[in-house]
Amino acid sequence: MNLKNIFLVTLLLTLNSVVAQDYKFGKVSKEELIEEINSVNQEAHATVLYKKHKVFFEFNQDDGFMLVNSYHERIKIYDKEGFEWATKRFSLYNYNNKSEKLTNLKAYTFTLENDGIKKTKLKKEGIFDEKNNKYWSTKTLTMPNVKEGCVIEFEYAIRSPFMKINDIVLQYDIPIKKLDVDVIIPEYFIYNKSINPRAVFNPELEDYSTKRSERITSKTRSKNLGFSAVKTNIESSDLNFNEKGFKVSMNNIPALKSEPFVQNVNIYRAKIIMEYAAYKGLDNLYKNYSTTWDVVTKTISNSSSFGGELEKNKYFEEDIDALISETDKPENKIVKIYNFVKTKVKHNNFIGLYSNEGVKRAYKEGVGNIAEINLILTAMLRYSGLNANPVILSTRDNGTPLYPNTEGFNYVISAIEDDTGNLILLDAANENSAINILPESAINWQGRIIRKNGSSDWISLNPKKISKEIVMLKYNINNMLEVEGKVSKQITDYLALDYRDKNNGLSEAEHLVKLQGEKDDLEILNLKVKNERDNNKPIVYSYDFKLNNNVDEIDGKLYIAPTLFLNYKENPFKQDIRVYPIDFIYPISRDYLINIDIPEGYIVESLPENVKFQFNVTGGSFSYLIYKTENTLQLKLNYKLNKTFILPSEYNQFKEFFSSIFEKQSEKIILIKT
Amino acid sequence: MQPKISLGIIFMLFTLLCTSQSDKTIAITLSPDLKENANAVIRHKALEIEIKAYNKMVVKEHRIVTVFNEYGMRNIGAYLSYDNTVNIKHISAIVYNALGQEIKSIKEKKFKDVSAVSGGTLFSDDRQKYLSYTPTNYPFTVEYTSEYVTSTTAFIPRWFPVEGYFVSTEYSSFKIVNNSAIVLNKKASYLDGYNINELSDFYYEAKNIKAIKKEAYAPSFSSFAPHLKFALQEFDMKGVKGQNSSWTAFGKWVDTDLNKDTEELPEDVISEVQNLTKTESSNLEKAKIVYKYMQDKTRYISVQVGIGGWKPMLASDVDRLSYGDCKALSNYTKALLKAVGVESYYTLIYGNRDIESFDIDFSSQQGNHAILTVPHQDDYVFLECTSQTTPFGYIANFTDDRDALIITPDGGKIVHTKVYKTEENSQKTKAIITVDQLGGLNATIKVNSKGTQYNRYSQLESKDQKGKQLYYKNRFDNINNLKVRSISIINDKENVILTENLELEASKYASKAGNMLLLTPNAFNKNTYIPPRYENRTLPFEVDRGFVDEDEYVFTLNQALSIDVMFEPVTISNKFGEYATTIEKIGDKKFKYKRKLIINKGKYSKDDYKTFRTFYSNITKHDKSKITLKK
Repeated sequence: MNLKNIFLVTLLLTLNSVVAQDYKFGKVSKEELIEEINSVNQEAHATVLYKKHKVFFEFNQDDGFMLVNSYHERIKIYDKEGFEWATKRFSLYNYNNKSEKLTNLKAYTFTLENDGIKKTKLKKEGIFDEKNNKYWSTKTLTMPNVKEGCVIEFEYAIRSPFMKINDIVLQYDIPIKKLDVDVIIPEYFIYNKSINPRAVFNPELEDYSTKRSERITSKTRSKNLGFSAVKTNIESSDLNFNEKGFKVSMNNIPALKSEPFVQNVNIYRAKIIMEYAAYKGLDNLYKNYSTTWDVVTKTISNSSSFGGELEKNKYFEEDIDALISETDKPENKIVKIYNFVKTKVKHNNFIGLYSNEGVKRAYKEGVGNIAEINLILTAMLRYSGLNANPVILSTRDNGTPLYPNTEGFNYVISAIEDDTGNLILLDAANENSAINILPESAINWQGRIIRKNGSSDWISLNPKKISKEIVMLKYNINNMLEVEGKVSKQITDYLALDYRDKNNGLSEAEHLVKLQGEKDDLEILNLKVKNERDNNKPIVYSYDFKLNNNVDEIDGKLYIAPTLFLNYKENPFKQDIRVYPIDFIYPISRDYLINIDIPEGYIVESLPENVKFQFNVTGGSFSYLIYKTENTLQLKLNYKLNKTFILPSEYNQFKEFFSSIFEKQSEKIILIKT
Repeated sequence: MQPKISLGIIFMLFTLLCTSQSDKTIAITLSPDLKENANAVIRHKALEIEIKAYNKMVVKEHRIVTVFNEYGMRNIGAYLSYDNTVNIKHISAIVYNALGQEIKSIKEKKFKDVSAVSGGTLFSDDRQKYLSYTPTNYPFTVEYTSEYVTSTTAFIPRWFPVEGYFVSTEYSSFKIVNNSAIVLNKKASYLDGYNINELSDFYYEAKNIKAIKKEAYAPSFSSFAPHLKFALQEFDMKGVKGQNSSWTAFGKWVDTDLNKDTEELPEDVISEVQNLTKTESSNLEKAKIVYKYMQDKTRYISVQVGIGGWKPMLASDVDRLSYGDCKALSNYTKALLKAVGVESYYTLIYGNRDIESFDIDFSSQQGNHAILTVPHQDDYVFLECTSQTTPFGYIANFTDDRDALIITPDGGKIVHTKVYKTEENSQKTKAIITVDQLGGLNATIKVNSKGTQYNRYSQLESKDQKGKQLYYKNRFDNINNLKVRSISIINDKENVILTENLELEASKYASKAGNMLLLTPNAFNKNTYIPPRYENRTLPFEVDRGFVDEDEYVFTLNQALSIDVMFEPVTISNKFGEYATTIEKIGDKKFKYKRKLIINKGKYSKDDYKTFRTFYSNITKHDKSKITLKK
């Protein structure tokens, strides 16, 4: 190396040390403590200054490989709202006397005191162990001496006897300034890695591989014939293997923030999902857990708590034989069996891909998890001669599985395929769902149908059928300016599911209080509701009403917004900018037929104009058609939303569409005395 | 012959027991009276407590509950809360179908055993064993039996023959056998008018009580529902022996036993606060400085383990760790005040938006919160020590207007906390508004809030800019197309006044009607809430806190518009409050809208509810009043 090069290296080193922060544990700088706001995101209450996350497998001769997640985090707390970051919780899993353990914990709070840096150590008094239930325990810690401006630093490792690598989280609810992730896995364990496709912010992965060697010693005791002592031979050998890994290095990761109409913002969090795919043993034994859909289908079909459960028939044969006759049409069979399972086995609120206690027991006890209920349903449908298959899916808050693997799935439904490929989707676990009406949580883009013949395919779960609301409103205005009238409504499909979820089980009195609402002086009488529990039929209801304060009399003229209390009370779309899409899940159409008796002694002075608006050409429409016939006014309103998924880029257009509807329905009819 | 007879008696008893029990497990034969408004019925409840010593109590429960729907699941009550002072002897349950046939039997091992750390608490040693059951059909009936021994006698279960809303009682009994020499006090409240009998001194039973419906504005359940409460004059609390012959004695025990030696502080801290306050001469000013010192130094962290659920942690630990719960932070503040020579009293209270008071004539363990009381002249200043942002002495909406127990060196004393009077809880809004050709608004608004209405600061402070914008869009949700152009918030903690300065705009605020525009002058404080209508109101009602809102908006119209018709002034006045609006033309294109609303604090009978509702309905109606503008 010549002088010039040495000079360059020194220069680089100096430059580096000037620019770079010191990310060694404990090396918190004065600058970090003095900093008053995050210059990139000035509203942040706290910021992760540095996070290092390593995933690797430790080797121990007795136990073999053990999964380790080690962390180093340095967090700056700017103000009181950021104090919650001084508390950390770890959920640790226990199963069959094996448990995840939190080890090597070191934590300090750094504060600036009288111009010097004070270091306060987290002691036992700030660490708490809680046994939540049989499977889970929680370790909670909270830092001492936390103040505005302080920096806290943690270092710890979670050692796990299980193969599951938890999602590698790359984004927090506060900004992260610098993040380093390093994952390195011995060649024996094969994981599929994927990046959360819904995340707005995504990382770049840098793959690498390396060689590793572990020494294995074995003791053998040999005893020679004769009188010589027992001799111990110590043999040692090296286990040489390859490791594959990847690194992520990122700066300035924005905070993850929720928005209205986002049920669970976690589905948008930037993260890497690791799925255990295969084991390749020393003796070249290869155990495939997934990797191709054929393998997945086979794994599931061969599993005793999935495929095995589908093959059992005995426990229900008698009941189904009594229920179904040979001459029943397929659609009758479906309705009968579906309703039978619903009343026979109730959902215990546990979801999962596999049966827990087993289908026989669930059937006998009348209680089961999601897999048990819908596998029983599938088996019965098959038994009655229908082409039924289970469909595995991931619920809305569970993310989106893309790769051949079972781990990403957490829910099972049943599908019947006819010769033309038409599908009927069924979930017998949800009280209010119906044939082809799944609970909303289960409608997450697509599911994988697992056929009896070993094939599998993606099927779309998105409802295509339009859910409808048809409303007839007829009223007159009495001389006290009260409105008296009658409403009849019919609600179908997903709108009916929504109605049932919200209202079924309410007493009549509670239902009335709810319908009357808090915003209008409305009195409802003679409420009649039909088909509340007959989920395969639309909800039909009607009532008489009396309404105060809805007609304005100004200078002898009457002003009426013709949709009365049925209109939107406010425009729900209030944000100026949107980050995430809005998912309405199913297309809808609302029809209003309004009939108004013109009160005696009045004539129409003016009516709102007839209009039609459109959203995104065919995405949605609104039409307003009002006309006068002798002594009545007739208004026909139709609102349609075909496009159920509104992208952030379409949000402004959508908001305007909705705002126009809102404005239109607040326009008034003017009546004037004759 | 003797053995035979006794066998016969045993047999008879056995069959008797059987019939009476199986009756109670049949749901279908229940009387319609008990089913009315009920999600569940307490068919049979027998709670029996034996007090063996100041630190030993045996509690046995036998309960049979029929559940009609999913809302009734919470009334099953098949659970036991415990910690290491509780020894569960027995817990089991049997589930019956509607016909009374057994469908499932659940032994102790099958009860779920979970930690019971409540929300807002970081850690506690509370646990719970509970029955987890998924019903296959309604109605069904659960029979539950349990027995436990506990050393903690400070909390003797209370008896509520009506357990809550929407649950009726067929039979409930409550019995305490006091085999200790210690005096057991009791207090019965609101038993009149119910079918409740006192069989002997500590033995009561209740039969056939109908379910009570929940209604808006009803007072808290325990302020009208029948109940009994008990307290031992000498008790054990998680291993600490206590005295309770009066509030004075109880307070003395808290002061000299329970909280003993918890107030010591390191020397440097004492001199630090002394230094900070040395230039102030008045105690109140000193207290303000100390309060701020505490707020800046600490944060709220709740850890409740053993006696730590009742005894504050050491002031020196709070100082070192910079955190604590309500007890710890109140006690720490007390210690700091003592260091600067200001007297203050540790205070036990119910912290809740609903007003719940200590029972002045029944000394016992009460309350769920601790604050600090500073005597000032002839009055008191109350300090909430768990918040880092609350102004000094501000306790609105959580611990205001209720009886609490202050712990003085002379023992316990009941005092009433600050009442926020109607006129103190004000919100004054002034707006200057221009209306454009199409009915759009452009407004500069200033809102001043005090008293209970000042509370809004806490909501606003935690929001970022985007969050604040959304907050105002929701607050003024009557305005479509609202744009928030600027927000400036001034939180004057010294005088406890919140000032919001806003610049807003909204296109097409006025709605179209033919070739006119209809404009609602009340743009920024429109009441849209009307209390629910009840066919037959059954409960009295109350308004916990009064308030006054005053609004004054000056509108200037675009040249192309002119005022057509305005409305007449309105004045409504009754015992619930006052409402008045006026609209006045102050120029060719200019008018002024004024509104005043007073809602009084008060307790009212159920017969008044209809007029109360009408009052709100009228306010809503007049708040919607429109004027017409000509183009």
